[in-house]
Amino acid sequence: MDAISHKQSFWTKYIFSTDHKVIGMQYAIMGIIMAGVGGFLAYIFRYNLAFPGAYIPLFGHLSAMQYNAFVTCHGMIMVFWVGMPVLLSSLGNLLIPLMIGTDDMAFPTVNMLSFWIFFVSALVLLSSFFVPGGAFGGGWTMYPPFSAGGYVNKNPAFFKELFSGTSLMILAVALELVAMLMGGINFLVTTINKRAKGMTPFKIPIVVWFINIASVIFMFSVGPLVAGAFMLLFDNVLGTGFYDPARGGDPMLWEHLFWFFGHPEVYVLLLPALGVLAEVFPVFSRKPLFAYKPIVYLALVSAILSVLVWAHHQFVAGIDPRMATFFSIGTILISIPFAGIFLSFMATLWGGSIRFTVPMMWALGFIGLFLIGGLTGLYLGSNAFDIYAHDTYFVVTHFHYTLFPDIFFGFFAAVYFWFPKFTGKTLNSALGKLHFWCTFFFFNGTWFVLFFNGLAGQHRRINDYSDFSLIMKEPYMSFEKFATVCAILLILSQFIFLYNLFTSLAKAKTSVRNPWQSNTLEWLAESPPPHGNFETYPEVYRGPYDYSVPGSTEDFLPQNVPVAHGEAEAIANVQNGITTSTNTI
Amino acid sequence: MNIFPENVSTYGQELDNLFWLITVFVMIAFVVSLFVLIYPLIKYRKKPSIKAEYITGERKKHFKWVVIALALLLASDFVIMYCEHDAWDQIESVPAKADVRVGIIARQWNWIFVYPGPDGILNTSDDVIVDELNSSLHVPINKNIVFELRSQDVIHSFFLANARFKQDVLPGRTVVRWFNLTKEGKYDISCTQICGILHSKMRNFVIAESDDKYKHYIDSLYTANGHKTTSAK
Repeated sequence: MDAISHKQSFWTKYIFSTDHKVIGMQYAIMGIIMAGVGGFLAYIFRYNLAFPGAYIPLFGHLSAMQYNAFVTCHGMIMVFWVGMPVLLSSLGNLLIPLMIGTDDMAFPTVNMLSFWIFFVSALVLLSSFFVPGGAFGGGWTMYPPFSAGGYVNKNPAFFKELFSGTSLMILAVALELVAMLMGGINFLVTTINKRAKGMTPFKIPIVVWFINIASVIFMFSVGPLVAGAFMLLFDNVLGTGFYDPARGGDPMLWEHLFWFFGHPEVYVLLLPALGVLAEVFPVFSRKPLFAYKPIVYLALVSAILSVLVWAHHQFVAGIDPRMATFFSIGTILISIPFAGIFLSFMATLWGGSIRFTVPMMWALGFIGLFLIGGLTGLYLGSNAFDIYAHDTYFVVTHFHYTLFPDIFFGFFAAVYFWFPKFTGKTLNSALGKLHFWCTFFFFNGTWFVLFFNGLAGQHRRINDYSDFSLIMKEPYMSFEKFATVCAILLILSQFIFLYNLFTSLAKAKTSVRNPWQSNTLEWLAESPPPHGNFETYPEVYRGPYDYSVPGSTEDFLPQNVPVAHGEAEAIANVQNGITTSTNTI
Repeated sequence: MNIFPENVSTYGQELDNLFWLITVFVMIAFVVSLFVLIYPLIKYRKKPSIKAEYITGERKKHFKWVVIALALLLASDFVIMYCEHDAWDQIESVPAKADVRVGIIARQWNWIFVYPGPDGILNTSDDVIVDELNSSLHVPINKNIVFELRSQDVIHSFFLANARFKQDVLPGRTVVRWFNLTKEGKYDISCTQICGILHSKMRNFVIAESDDKYKHYIDSLYTANGHKTTSAK
């Protein structure tokens, strides 16, 4: 707690730090770097799609093998090395201890270990680009037998196979999952045990709830995948036959193990970002979050349902056709809690006093884009239409309309919102708005047209469509080019953010504790919070969203403000229509 | 401009209809949601004199709107499911009466077609095998074509966009499916499950033709391949 007495060297303070804020930053920075790698890969293969075989500036010519590897690694990186670190690990580490009013994580050393295992996993993945044969190129789903070398050689050379692109990717994913598990355990134990006095479960901010629910979903679903990944690794390096039908194995086993994790993973990525929206909307509408408790219950329901929908990725994989109905119903049901959460966020805006700040714009953009992503899910949840749409650009576009707003809009909303807290400095809001509008327009430009390519039958992971008459015609060729130009502009737009970031960091501290006039506990700490966070442990008296409370002079009441005499009556009077809140001040 | 490729199968129209049905629901939901999102942004934009309303959303009066919206969404979901059930059943359940039975084998990176030999039964020693790059599967039109899908190596996926048909082909199992093509023509088969370096080149054709032309083609296959029908298997 005594923030000043800590004397730390550069190494223990910034590199091998056990401070949750430094670790959170490390995860965020690592995520941004990996997003750069993933984005660069996207640039290369999008360029190739628009101009097949052409010379690609900053890269050269792209071979079919490289194309496959880059598409695969783009997916892997964006999900496991961008989405997971920036949304789950970074936000979880930065926010949980501060928002529940404590000094650090329950297990700071495990936390540090978690980051460094994650760091190693990223290095292992990147190193796979440089081994003979290059990185793995069989799709991020890694379906065997392709990912098991096709069982050409039943007695593989151990070391040669261990240092192949395939094995390195499996290892990297397994390491990454271990790192995330360590983080997840920390989040849960910290939230359960270290909350400030008075912070009962229904006084916990939604973002903390959601990160914890995401951690539970992750932990529940990850076991089978890690087991499956090791079986796949053994198939590769030891010549076992877990997925080899000729020796009694079954490739379908992997599909089940993979998607049993892979689909819940979507919600692991979605929930923390939704949590960010739940913090941003009330602050910038100056209104309580609509339906706090129902939102928590809806998220808990979604967590249970999330493990019952996986086989909707396998409608055309050869599963029993009768089984599809079950997973179709599961898919329909899980859309309900998430629709409820989104509707509650939108309802928060009604009757508010809305401020169009930069984080608010990212949050609103998130909802707008996710609306398209969510609604196109209706087509794919229908198992019959999925027969046609599966593995076409319709699917690819659908999940980019969900994951892009989720990972990037959610992350940027968080960055612009909490940047003043964690650096003591402010990002330029004009540049922030420019960054938002460029990203919003160029994202739509990249993807919207590709819905039509998908419906025209354009299938995914093809480096050269010249053999396919359905695609090699107008307007689909022009759509490809248009998408590529927009994708390049989308990537370039991110330099606005980097410029804003570095110039803002170079400025002098503004050191405002609570610039947005927000209620949650992190705003009580100094900006940036020192090691140990708070001068004294805060005590909590109220929920996190008491904005514009009737009878109070300020339009916000932080969680550490005791409930005033007569507050309950004033609220009850307004809610029962005896007086109106609008005119009380 | 039609947004789908031309449909030539008996069941394809059902999927196209299903698409438009879902589109009606999606459009309504999209417009309503966009209104719910954008209207308050204009109406409740910050004004200095007006304080935000205190609505927790946990009282019945307010939360009922969310419940109503969710009920409508759930209802439309089930309407979609009810309507699609028929299409799914048609495509996935093979009709009892097969007019023609063929084998389709996937291999890195080609589709191989197996026709029954003169005995008319598939998977016997006199089967005729066509194993050439960019070859075509010949089928008669307006007949129930039942096919057995197998893979020799990795997972592939058989996609015939014009028939709205797709099916993954996994090594170690035989998947039996069918289609009935209604229009003569040559249609692309593609592989939609990434299967290696020449995944992009795994393109063959289905040639749908009249009964006479089909019989003629089979006869020519028998004469040309008669001598090697046993060894080819």
